[in-house]
Amino acid sequence: MKEKKKNSFVYDIKKYWPYYVMVILGLVFFTVFKYIPMFGSVIAFQDYSVFQGILGSEWVGLKHIKSLLTYPDFSRIFTNTLVLGLLKVVVVFPVPVILSLMLNEVKNRHVKKAIQTAVYIPYFLSWVIVGGLIFDIFGVGGLFNNIRSFFGMNLLLPMQKESWFRPIYVISSIWKEAGWGTVVYLAAISGIDPALYESSAIDGASRIQRMRYITIPLLIPTVLTMFLLNIGSFLELGFEQVYNLLTPMTYSVGDIFDTYVYRVGIQQAQYSFTTAVGLFQSTVGLILVVTFNKLANKFSEDGGLW
Amino acid sequence: MRESVKDKLFSGSLTLILCLFAMVAVVPLLNVVAMAFSSKSAADMNIVNLLPVGFTLDSWKYILSDAGIWRAFLISLVTTLTGTVLALIITAFTAYPLSKKEFKPGRFIMMIVVGTMIFKAPVVPYFLTLRNLGLYNNILVLILPHVLSAYNLTIMRTFFKQFPAEVEEAAKIDGCGLFRILFKIVLPSSKAVLATVGLFYAVTMWNQFQHPVMFIQNTNLFPLQMKIRQLINGGSDFANISVVANVNYSEATLSAATVVFAIVPIILIYPWLQKYFEKGAMLGSVKG
Repeated sequence: MKEKKKNSFVYDIKKYWPYYVMVILGLVFFTVFKYIPMFGSVIAFQDYSVFQGILGSEWVGLKHIKSLLTYPDFSRIFTNTLVLGLLKVVVVFPVPVILSLMLNEVKNRHVKKAIQTAVYIPYFLSWVIVGGLIFDIFGVGGLFNNIRSFFGMNLLLPMQKESWFRPIYVISSIWKEAGWGTVVYLAAISGIDPALYESSAIDGASRIQRMRYITIPLLIPTVLTMFLLNIGSFLELGFEQVYNLLTPMTYSVGDIFDTYVYRVGIQQAQYSFTTAVGLFQSTVGLILVVTFNKLANKFSEDGGLW
Repeated sequence: MRESVKDKLFSGSLTLILCLFAMVAVVPLLNVVAMAFSSKSAADMNIVNLLPVGFTLDSWKYILSDAGIWRAFLISLVTTLTGTVLALIITAFTAYPLSKKEFKPGRFIMMIVVGTMIFKAPVVPYFLTLRNLGLYNNILVLILPHVLSAYNLTIMRTFFKQFPAEVEEAAKIDGCGLFRILFKIVLPSSKAVLATVGLFYAVTMWNQFQHPVMFIQNTNLFPLQMKIRQLINGGSDFANISVVANVNYSEATLSAATVVFAIVPIILIYPWLQKYFEKGAMLGSVKG
């Protein structure tokens, strides 16, 4: 029996050897760029020194994990990450849903297409560009202050103000990504059986009623799935976005895990401590993704990421 | 279908709100274009909004005669093009066997792929690994980390799974090898998915910022996004140059021209981006 199994494996390789050759590059990629760094995380339990490497550095157990929990910076960046993550789920997430419901009511196809073309553009711009645009708009002589001065208000520079960082984060997220976010929902809406709309129209249902009683209930599964996946990636706020909106004046509210690890870990070379920070983030991320993916799968058959 | 007045009003007002939203999406772009073509005095007086004031090409003459920005542009262009070709080859090579039931290790390899989506390696060990590989201050760091992504791999695998098996079987009977089947039969009829995935990769590489900011210190190797950030973030001499008398550009107009310079390539291929990205978003939502 065992012999037979072994033989069929050899037979498989002989017959399908090109498949085995084809996947080699992909496997090398995942090993080098994903799994080796994953196992490299053990330096969180060392006093890692570049000269001694992982094998030569001294093991210190949970020293960094412990100091992390008492470190004042840690609670600050943790809070900032949580607040921005919450804002993203609560404020930013619903915008594309509402936009696609509205887009569905636009009757003229050309007008609809034109609106879509316009709102999709920002998605394709890099965060460097979007950051630059935002600094321009809210800077001296930018549209924001030109409008303020038109109404006789004083000069205000939001990018340098702590209290404005979070609103700016939300605004920039919506500006760049909400338009594009409608694609998934519009696809779901276009999958709704037109017969439902026709028969309800014959029964005299108004457009508002059709939206309320047909579109919204049938869109909810998609929204919920997207919502669960969103919470799953709660901690992934995007280094590029925050980094390109941050100024030293707004560190206290805008510094998140990703920007902190970059500044302290990579620029100041505190490798072991920031790996502990990263390990904390990845572990919380792991729990969130697995939990909410499970929920998404439970909720709709094809809902989860895997 | 007959529309009542109430219905018309409802749909009309929603259209109006959406038009406003569409304007908000475009206005910052118009503003930056207007600034890029405005004169120094107009910029200094803060009177540029949606149209250029005191139209001039002087900022452009300055920006386009800067060898540094062209160098960065070329670095981004070359790495994006070679990177995209490489990424398509590697992704197709990996996705094709994974779409076949006969390929026994497929299930295990998919677990490896999903594993990378669930647990993200912390940034610092990632940085150290790539630095040990010699990717620090190396232009290859703009390409190699992007040549495969779990998401694009899934899209392509889903597409290959839907490929009619009979066609491949027929080719096999005719004595075609598996490599030839992939190159002569499967890939030529997968142009749509190749375009979609290729554009996904290209936009990622063109817009990338995190890898260059971590790995590239040498300003001669800066890709376009890094160069732009350096120029518009005061780390440049824009402020000093424009103080000199009798020039018709200011720090603001030069920054604006730089930003427009970087947006133009994206706008040029925007029709294709929109078409194929929409396709990809649909494909991505269907798992195989």
